[in-house]
Amino acid sequence: MSEGRFWALLLLFPSLLVITAVVLYPTATGFLLSVQELRLNRPQLGNDWVGLRHYADMVSDPVFWTSLKNTAVWVTASVIIELFLGLTAALALNRGLPGTRAFAVLILVPMFLPNIVAGHMWALMLDPRLGVVNDILMRLNLIDGYKAWFADPSTAMGAAIAVEAWHSFPFFTLLLLAGLKGIPEDLYKAAAIDGAGALAQLRLITLPQLRTVIAAAVILRVIGLVNSPDLLLVLTNGGPGRSTQVLSLYAFQTAYKDFDFGYAGALSVVMFALLMVFAWAYVALLRVDRD
Amino acid sequence: MRPVMNRRTALQLGAFAGLGSLIPRWALAQDGSVSYWHTFTSQTEVAGLDRVMALFAEARPGVTVTPEAIPNTEFMTKMTSAVMADARPDVVMVASERFTDMAAMGALVDITERVNGWERRGDYDDSRFAGITDAEGRIYGVPAFSFVDWMYYRKDWFDEAGIAPPTTLEEMRQAAIALTDPSKGRYGFGLRGGPGGQNYIVNVMEAFGAPVQVGDTLSIDRDQAVEAIRWYAGLLTQDGAVPASAPNDGFRQVIEGFQTGQTAMIWHHTGSFRDIASRLEPGVQFGTLAMPAGPAARVARLGYAYHAMSSEANADAAWSWINFWGEPDAGIAFLEETGYFPASTTVAQDPRISQDPLYAPAAETLGFGSVYPLFVGYPAWVENVVLPAFQEVLIGQTSPEGAVDQMVAGLEDASR
Repeated sequence: MSEGRFWALLLLFPSLLVITAVVLYPTATGFLLSVQELRLNRPQLGNDWVGLRHYADMVSDPVFWTSLKNTAVWVTASVIIELFLGLTAALALNRGLPGTRAFAVLILVPMFLPNIVAGHMWALMLDPRLGVVNDILMRLNLIDGYKAWFADPSTAMGAAIAVEAWHSFPFFTLLLLAGLKGIPEDLYKAAAIDGAGALAQLRLITLPQLRTVIAAAVILRVIGLVNSPDLLLVLTNGGPGRSTQVLSLYAFQTAYKDFDFGYAGALSVVMFALLMVFAWAYVALLRVDRD
Repeated sequence: MRPVMNRRTALQLGAFAGLGSLIPRWALAQDGSVSYWHTFTSQTEVAGLDRVMALFAEARPGVTVTPEAIPNTEFMTKMTSAVMADARPDVVMVASERFTDMAAMGALVDITERVNGWERRGDYDDSRFAGITDAEGRIYGVPAFSFVDWMYYRKDWFDEAGIAPPTTLEEMRQAAIALTDPSKGRYGFGLRGGPGGQNYIVNVMEAFGAPVQVGDTLSIDRDQAVEAIRWYAGLLTQDGAVPASAPNDGFRQVIEGFQTGQTAMIWHHTGSFRDIASRLEPGVQFGTLAMPAGPAARVARLGYAYHAMSSEANADAAWSWINFWGEPDAGIAFLEETGYFPASTTVAQDPRISQDPLYAPAAETLGFGSVYPLFVGYPAWVENVVLPAFQEVLIGQTSPEGAVDQMVAGLEDASR
């Protein structure tokens, strides 16, 4: 080994050590948990290796399949709405109109709230007895009686997605606004000279230029949505019935209510695999590295 | 200018600091500091804890208590993580239904000898320790206060309608139907079908003759359980006598519904008496009743909050804090702030409790009430299987038969 290569490896060693400690070790532990028996409240079962038994159990577990389906709905709908709202807000803020700075701060306010606080706040606002949302909708004659949004399976998921979209669309606004600032003004001037209108400019300049930012933002948001059960935990706890049960919430309940860390580990590994496949497919489809 | 600290002084201080870190933990523990995890979060509970801590500091100044409030819903998550990381506090609060799981995962320390040798052990009826004693007779904690299941009802509405307070589930149903008037936003009963409602489902099944646990045997009489679920869910699906929000209604919604005049009856325990009395006049607008009897049994739970040792690092100081809750002054102070019943039999005979007619149903319940089923996995089964299955009946996604089949299958898994 050359001296230069030796020093390079030596200097990289601390970073490798940190990555191993904070990324690889916990990830590997999660994988190992998924092939072990580990039920905290049943120590008599031991901690033996069980191979792929937890994964096999998952196939015949109806709650897993319901959770998987709900996760797909929860994530897809939330990301589409958040991307649309975030892009709209970013485009508006990028116009440099008077008061833009104040609006930029206001738009970010929902994101400043922790999930738990936002969840409790919306649970009160959507409350069927005291909630302001029902009151407004009644006054506008949009509903004929106070609605229990989270108690009806036909509206529970929709209401939860609306709260999630309100809470997280500023994330897209922030990233997309940064992306918009990086697009050269000359491109728009040239397009205008060529007769391109606002919609054509959006389709032919803005969106292609934002492709990388959109890809990164969508991937980050999908990861966040798949992994975080806290908002649903507060709003519905997966109910009524299993109508808002998602994989992260199921894994959480399995670990911290059933104390079955083996099965919860297997659920987490499935989520991990789904996210890896999604991220790879999404980046490949968007051809982010084409430029 | 002369420096404040020269290099030699700095080195000496560093050496002393290094030596200090070598002092064993038990030596520091002599100052008697106790870390204490509890679930007190309401204003009245915090005021009650403050008073007990002040009394403790006065009575036993050698021990310092460092409390940490953990919301009830997050308590087991934090406790589980503490067990996994071997970072348990000295003293923890243990709710009755959590005892078996916490003991099984090694979160509690056996304090049988300390309890048996305690001079106030005679103040407690033996039954008070049943919920914190394992099958081998090991005692893990001391009951601090109790929650007695009972029913709150709108006395003024009942009087106005000329309806007698119900003593059976069927009378309760008829009263709920009679007092329901959706045009006024009034419903007969505030059914807790959301978080925390799971135990009532098990209670109704037992009242209909389908207890979950008989001795060490876990099973469900399917036919009786189906009847129970049909009756209980029917309050919404057939009678329309409960608010439509019932499938998602937890503690806050049920209490608010009663306080704001939406519901005529609710089931809860003695712990919410002060909260309800803050909005409605006791004895005039609302009254209390013992839980109504079902066709097969009258079921009400006696829930205890225990204090238990979770780590032996500061065992003597921890025991001092645990047993202080058995002192009459502490029990009465806590009762005055919160309305929570003292667990000590002696303290519970205080005239402020025994001579108050509103507390009479609780005293009656102490005669027939029972503790929650005690088997490992019970909290997870009721929360993750029983409640969602019952909710599915409420929202029409399954039948009572389908729900009971889910419960039976879940119970078989839980009992493995």
